[in-house]
Amino acid sequence: GTARAAGMVLKGARLAGLAKGFRGRAKNCLRIARLRVEKALQYQYRDRRARKRDFRSLWVQRINAGSRAHGVKYSQLMAGLREDNVQLNRKILSDLAANEPGSFGALVHRVKAMRGL
Amino acid sequence: AARGLPASVEAGVKDNITYYPTQADTKKDDKVWYVIDAEGQTLGRLATLAAAFIRGKHLPWYSGSMDMGGFVVVVNAEKVQVTGKKAEQKTYFRHTTGRPGNYHVETFKSLQQRLPERIVEKAVWGMIPKGKLGRRQIHNLKVYKGAEHPHAAQQPVDITHLVDKKWSACDLSEVLQANGLPA
Repeated sequence: GTARAAGMVLKGARLAGLAKGFRGRAKNCLRIARLRVEKALQYQYRDRRARKRDFRSLWVQRINAGSRAHGVKYSQLMAGLREDNVQLNRKILSDLAANEPGSFGALVHRVKAMRGL
Repeated sequence: AARGLPASVEAGVKDNITYYPTQADTKKDDKVWYVIDAEGQTLGRLATLAAAFIRGKHLPWYSGSMDMGGFVVVVNAEKVQVTGKKAEQKTYFRHTTGRPGNYHVETFKSLQQRLPERIVEKAVWGMIPKGKLGRRQIHNLKVYKGAEHPHAAQQPVDITHLVDKKWSACDLSEVLQANGLPA
């Protein structure tokens, strides 16, 4: 047997529902599904925390790409924005870089002028 | 989509949600083509640029899970250079029979005479992340011996001037324009 998740009953229709889309017997056979579902729930727990890190990393990569297109590195851009007291976070900055390139370019040029780049 | 701009970006902004590309945004027909002239360029420095553009690292809609990059054409592959004594000392290793033992080792110089395209392909392959997406993206690299390439219809943007240069010191306006970004 396996250790039962505290507080959650992994049985029957509930277990089968959680195992939808799994590979091979894990989606159909409950004894195998239980193992994979327990692992999946553990991964979900871990990855809810990792998601916050992963998205920030993605935003940084996109800001870097957008800012280098204007001749400024990510590190220089963020330092310049901080100095200028622009409090836009990385989520918004990456959104601007992709969807509002004109506005993003204006921010980059502001930093460029301020730092003499 | 306008040349280069992903379809879903052009369609409109989704409020307060990080842009994630759809399958339609990775269509081959919408990809931008770039060309690099390898003549006189250092192998690794050229490969870095090619790999970055193939992956899409130069674009603000870069995604590690979808193919957002462009096609890169490399011409004059037989004229790519390596520094130091690497022409005689750098070796390329391969297994020959599929069984243990009996491998073949060849120098840079020898491979450049035999199959110069392979040198650039191997260099760029080493710089692309390995996995399903990487294996697909390496096909977006087209390497040719000699100065001619059959992709004139795709109007590739010349990025040879970006090899081994800080992008802040370069003129990126052609690249930006091809991707639908304001120069």
